[in-house]
Amino acid sequence: MGLPMEKYENDIKLKLTNITKIFPGVVALDDVSLELKTGEVHALCGENGAGKSTLMNVLSGNHQPDEGAVILRGDKVDVPNQLVAQKLGIGIVYQERSLVNDLSVAENIYAGNQPTNRWGIINFKKLFAQAKVLLAKLGMADIDPKTKLEYLSPGKQQMVEIAKALSQNPEILILDEPTASISETDAKVLFQIIHSLTQEGVAVIYISHRMSEIFQIADRVSILKDGKYQGTRIMSEISVDDIIRLMVGRDLVKQDYQSHVGEEVILKAENFNGPDFLNISFELKKGEVLGLAGLVGAGRTELARAIFGVDKKYEGELTLNQNPVKINHPMDAMKLGIGYLPEHRKEQGLFLEMTVEENIVATNLDVAVENKLLQFSKISDVANSYIQKLGIKTPDSKQKVVNLSGGNQQKIVLAKWLLLNPKVLIVDEPTHGVDVGAKAEIYAILKELTEKGTSIIMISSELPELLSLSDRILVLCNGNLTAELPKEDFSEEKIMHFASGTKNMFNKNSEKIGQPVSAN
Amino acid sequence: MKLSLKLLQDRVITLSITIAVLIIISSIIWPNTFPTFDNFSLVLLNLSIETIVAVGMMILMISGSFDLSVGSVVAFAGGFTAYLMYYWGVYVPVAIIAGIGVSILIGFINGFLVARVGINPLIQTLAMMGIIRGLALMVSGAGIQNFPESFNVIGQTKILGFQTPVWFMLIIVALFAFLVAKTTFFRKYYYIGGNEKAAKLSGIRVEKMKIYSFILISSLAGFAGILLSSRLGAAMSTSGQGMELRVITAVILGGASLLGGQGKILGAMLGTIFMGLISNVMILARVSGYWQQIILGLILILAVVIDIILKKNVGIAPKKYLKKAVN
Repeated sequence: MGLPMEKYENDIKLKLTNITKIFPGVVALDDVSLELKTGEVHALCGENGAGKSTLMNVLSGNHQPDEGAVILRGDKVDVPNQLVAQKLGIGIVYQERSLVNDLSVAENIYAGNQPTNRWGIINFKKLFAQAKVLLAKLGMADIDPKTKLEYLSPGKQQMVEIAKALSQNPEILILDEPTASISETDAKVLFQIIHSLTQEGVAVIYISHRMSEIFQIADRVSILKDGKYQGTRIMSEISVDDIIRLMVGRDLVKQDYQSHVGEEVILKAENFNGPDFLNISFELKKGEVLGLAGLVGAGRTELARAIFGVDKKYEGELTLNQNPVKINHPMDAMKLGIGYLPEHRKEQGLFLEMTVEENIVATNLDVAVENKLLQFSKISDVANSYIQKLGIKTPDSKQKVVNLSGGNQQKIVLAKWLLLNPKVLIVDEPTHGVDVGAKAEIYAILKELTEKGTSIIMISSELPELLSLSDRILVLCNGNLTAELPKEDFSEEKIMHFASGTKNMFNKNSEKIGQPVSAN
Repeated sequence: MKLSLKLLQDRVITLSITIAVLIIISSIIWPNTFPTFDNFSLVLLNLSIETIVAVGMMILMISGSFDLSVGSVVAFAGGFTAYLMYYWGVYVPVAIIAGIGVSILIGFINGFLVARVGINPLIQTLAMMGIIRGLALMVSGAGIQNFPESFNVIGQTKILGFQTPVWFMLIIVALFAFLVAKTTFFRKYYYIGGNEKAAKLSGIRVEKMKIYSFILISSLAGFAGILLSSRLGAAMSTSGQGMELRVITAVILGGASLLGGQGKILGAMLGTIFMGLISNVMILARVSGYWQQIILGLILILAVVIDIILKKNVGIAPKKYLKKAVN
């Protein structure tokens, strides 16, 4: 097969013309037009709230546009619902999972489309056979279609999600942040699948915040900002900075690396052992940013949760300011000045239906207590000071958090911890699903903290941010510490070697503790 | 317009307005029988026991949980106290303390099994409802009567025209309304109901707090049961039957959500008052008791539907602050 771009040059598969979508009080899409060529990977970029998901929801029948048209292969089509979208050959993989843990892989893939006999009874034999063929075709032959979904790793589950979308043989495949929760190895497999799909003429719309991925896989990129179309470019003719400028409408100030590492050792962990990590020892200095690198499931989050006292099943000695401490509950950790910004903002960090101010004071209601009683005006005062300090964009402190964008939500979780003046702050994927503008602001906040003497342990799967912020990086692989890298030894290649287990700086005969059961 | 819509989202306000309208209309229809002190005092007396339990249920529902065993606890605590006094001649205060003591124990078992062992509250308290009802039958059988006068006096005295259960209800509602609004301890239940995982990661001792909430509702139910025995001068194994669902109905009418994180103590009392007034009006209108249940069911659905409609249209903030990609 030849190069897809040559083969299908100028073959327009889909056109969106002048799409406008208005929600109560919000113009989500403002006169947006887009062209999709056969066999191309078309990236869609924009900050959170720029309208990417809304546009894709228009295409997949979840929303009806107020103005504009969807033109498929030259014909104007109506997409009143998802079923019609499916029939028109539009497949979508949402950011949110649409799978059921208790069902088999095959049943998940063919949810609603199971092969049946004439009385409507499911033909399982055929179902499993079909699923097997589909998985093999996608290079996922190692997944048994009869396995219950919950036994698969998050990466494999994402693959099943994609297989589900592909089971209808779509001509257009929309992927919304498909790599957000999978490891780099799984991402590579995904890219191969995408590549082979485009060879067959499938057009892929790829939404992602990760620039490196877009440059790796996309042919063209379109940019949205505040619901408006900013233009389409060929990847080879545009730089990361150009895309970001179109997305945010300004240049991002790049922070120069500056170290605030002190002499004093604040935190010392010795021989930490748990179900998901083995024999981990490290020291953390005052004002230091210690990066924790590793693949999904390497045990980084589990280690952080153990230090913070969330999961009790571990052993090991923890020393804080030269004093041995025992932490059995997050409250113990907080009393000692340790904070933990969790990996999943919505599930673990926020009270979505509660107000901004209630969220900010969640860790320390005592700030608003006078004469043993809560003063609500004080809650607002404290919250407002953090809203200002961190530049949280909200109409007022009584807005429900669920209405705010991802970046602002993350800043609220951060504010919750700043309220405690932590000596040690553990941040787990602090910029997950956050747009570039908010990312830079979060980096600045973290740097400012270290300047004031707070030590930070940062877990991140985004290597660029880990490399630019950390003073030192520890790499974990399968629960083992495989490397400790000083600033001068930082490189993506090195980290990937240690993270994937091909190299180990410490003992050569490190035990393998097997695949962790669950990475959540 | 915007402000008034926001106010209408507060169930305490909407329910107060509804109750006021109900009182005005009923007073016009039955000017001689409805708006009298005796009628109101009777309505309040009839709902006082359930309101005391509703206070505990509101706190539990704010934390995202509920308790189906309260009706049985009402019967058992009343029966157990009566048993001690009648058969063993136990001194009145000691019998009362023992009755509340066993209620606390029941609450602790519920709380421990739900919070520490991880049994779903529906299953745990459903099982406990059956167990305690059985125990209630064992202690009070066909009923126990003839209590010492010093016991009957607790629930049968009139102060300023109202019987004591009404006063106990008002004190308990006022006390917990204050505590829930103004102390960090009770405020934590909103966080637990809002997001349990996030609450734990914010340093709230979720398991302990849950155990406390089950102990609280059980001891309130136990107290209510003892008060009921005193008021009636008799302990019956059937008292409190079906109370759990009436109380949950009242609490939801009063602004709680099954998902947790919402509600005010005052709402719980307004919920029981509303239900008490409806049944009072039905009696005045000579409507059959069957209709009461049908109408209450319809009102519950209506209240929740109105709530959903209001929430869809309120809280639209200026464009730039909102998530634009509403999925």
